Amino acid sequence: MKNESNNGAGIYKKAQRKPKKLGNSPVLWFIPLVLVLLLVFVYPIIEIIRFSFTDAGLIDRDYTYTLKSYFSLFTSPGFFNMLFVTGFFVFFSVTFQMMLGLAVALLVDQGMKRRLHGTVILRTAVLTAWAIPGVIIGIIWTMLYNESNAGVLNYILSFVGLDSGIAFLSDPINSLISVTFANVWRGTAFSMIMIYAGLQTISKDVIEATLVDGANAVQRLFKVIIPILSPVLFINLIVVTVETFNTFDMVMALTGGGPGRSTEVIALSIYNSIFRQFELGQGAATAVVLLLINTLMTVIYFKAIEKNQAVN
Amino acid sequence: METKSKRLTINTLIYCAYFVILLFFLFPLFWVLSVSLKSIPELFASPLVWFSSNPQFSNYTYVIQKTEIINYLVNSIIIVIFTIFFTLLIAVPASYALSRYKFRLKKPFMLAILIFQMVSPVVVAIPLYRLFVQLGLINLHWSLILVYIAIQLPFTTWFLKGFFDTIPHTLDEAAIVDGCTRLQALCKVILPVSTPGLASAAILVGVLSWSQFVIPFILLDDNKLFPISVGLINLQSTAEAITLHYLAAASIIAILPIIIIFILLQRYIVGALTSGSVKE
Repeated sequence: MKNESNNGAGIYKKAQRKPKKLGNSPVLWFIPLVLVLLLVFVYPIIEIIRFSFTDAGLIDRDYTYTLKSYFSLFTSPGFFNMLFVTGFFVFFSVTFQMMLGLAVALLVDQGMKRRLHGTVILRTAVLTAWAIPGVIIGIIWTMLYNESNAGVLNYILSFVGLDSGIAFLSDPINSLISVTFANVWRGTAFSMIMIYAGLQTISKDVIEATLVDGANAVQRLFKVIIPILSPVLFINLIVVTVETFNTFDMVMALTGGGPGRSTEVIALSIYNSIFRQFELGQGAATAVVLLLINTLMTVIYFKAIEKNQAVN
Repeated sequence: METKSKRLTINTLIYCAYFVILLFFLFPLFWVLSVSLKSIPELFASPLVWFSSNPQFSNYTYVIQKTEIINYLVNSIIIVIFTIFFTLLIAVPASYALSRYKFRLKKPFMLAILIFQMVSPVVVAIPLYRLFVQLGLINLHWSLILVYIAIQLPFTTWFLKGFFDTIPHTLDEAAIVDGCTRLQALCKVILPVSTPGLASAAILVGVLSWSQFVIPFILLDDNKLFPISVGLINLQSTAEAITLHYLAAASIIAILPIIIIFILLQRYIVGALTSGSVKE
């Protein structure tokens, strides 16, 4: 946080030059924010990086510094399995959330423009799914996926000829698909609302110009609307990707990472290493991997915003 | 521009799509509601029972009386209210300063705030658990609320900065020329015209804090202190298959406040979400 004092000095000089316009230095305004962020983010991040180079258990005070955690992490087959599970979960969640989100956003936009009844109800229904706590979404979907007679999805599928019943949560591959599907249900609203907001910024002139050109709806979508939306879609992509990498609560409630470790996404893997296997070092090393992913995404996101602002 | 028949066709197609999407999003909620009102034989009946012939509202009274769910709800309400208040108290001056002051390193400072937004709460919760155990701060709502505030601060600061950017600078500068300090200008001139932005921020912080799970899951182990999210996981892990209907009733009780708030405030929520994402 050396930057802080530098900021102050810079402002102080400027303030002397133009006292009326700038008033005091901004440092005071940031003190509470910086203190809270230092304690709750900076300190833990430094600690987790430090622990990743130790062999510490959850609460021991004695430990030695070592690279063992990283070594055992990168050589364990569980790590690559976890990466696969996380990659599958993130890739398919993000893809389908964005596609469905785009579709619903276009529909709501059209519905609003055509003043159709029920548009607000539709929007509210989709958004409600997003506002429900992840844990409860997990519990709700355990009831839908239930493999006994109480399970409704298997009952519905029996009408289309799937009498044997699908092992939604007890089969390793199915459970990964089931978790991803439930996550699409949960996350579509966020993409929908961001894309919907983007659609509101497209001026009517642009749309009307294409109508005059005689472009049909599909051409309009792919040649005009999606290109104009591309900055919004890109930012949406990054935010949703980070959010999905960080997902913990819903998977915890739905499968707990099982069966076996077939749905153990990275955030859950960190938790399990530390609180179930009491291996702080290894959990911390996994956490550092997640932090690197988060940081990389943030930098890309920031660049995209800057580029956006430059264009506007 | 469209002929009448073409418009009718398109509207019909849109309504068909509405129906499919509504079914997809509302069916899970309908199912939980249906399960929550079933009796035990209906729960496992074959063929499946869509609507209980004799709705068991007693499932709800059972859950309210025999579990800590009301206590969980009260805990969540307390935590969320304090989180909203302190998040705004800290984020307002910071975001106002970010909007009005020019200084070197502003960009890296904003990037740093954004990075924290992206950091997974599970990563910070672990060292905080160790720290709080050492300091005796574990199992306290206050220390928990501090972490909640920190998690909400990055987004709220960015969001409010974007909002303050839309308020003309001439407004507060006029007040300063008239002899107000910056702080007075903020409190007397800017805040009164910022109600929509502050309300949107408060709603978003409220919804996100209500859903927060990892932090209380790791930092609390006293059942009496659990917010609703951890309380539900706790119920789930103690529930046997036979108590599915109770778990469903508990889930409905847990999401009812959010759904009511959503229906009442959905205009503002959409406003908040759309204005936020446009400016980002």
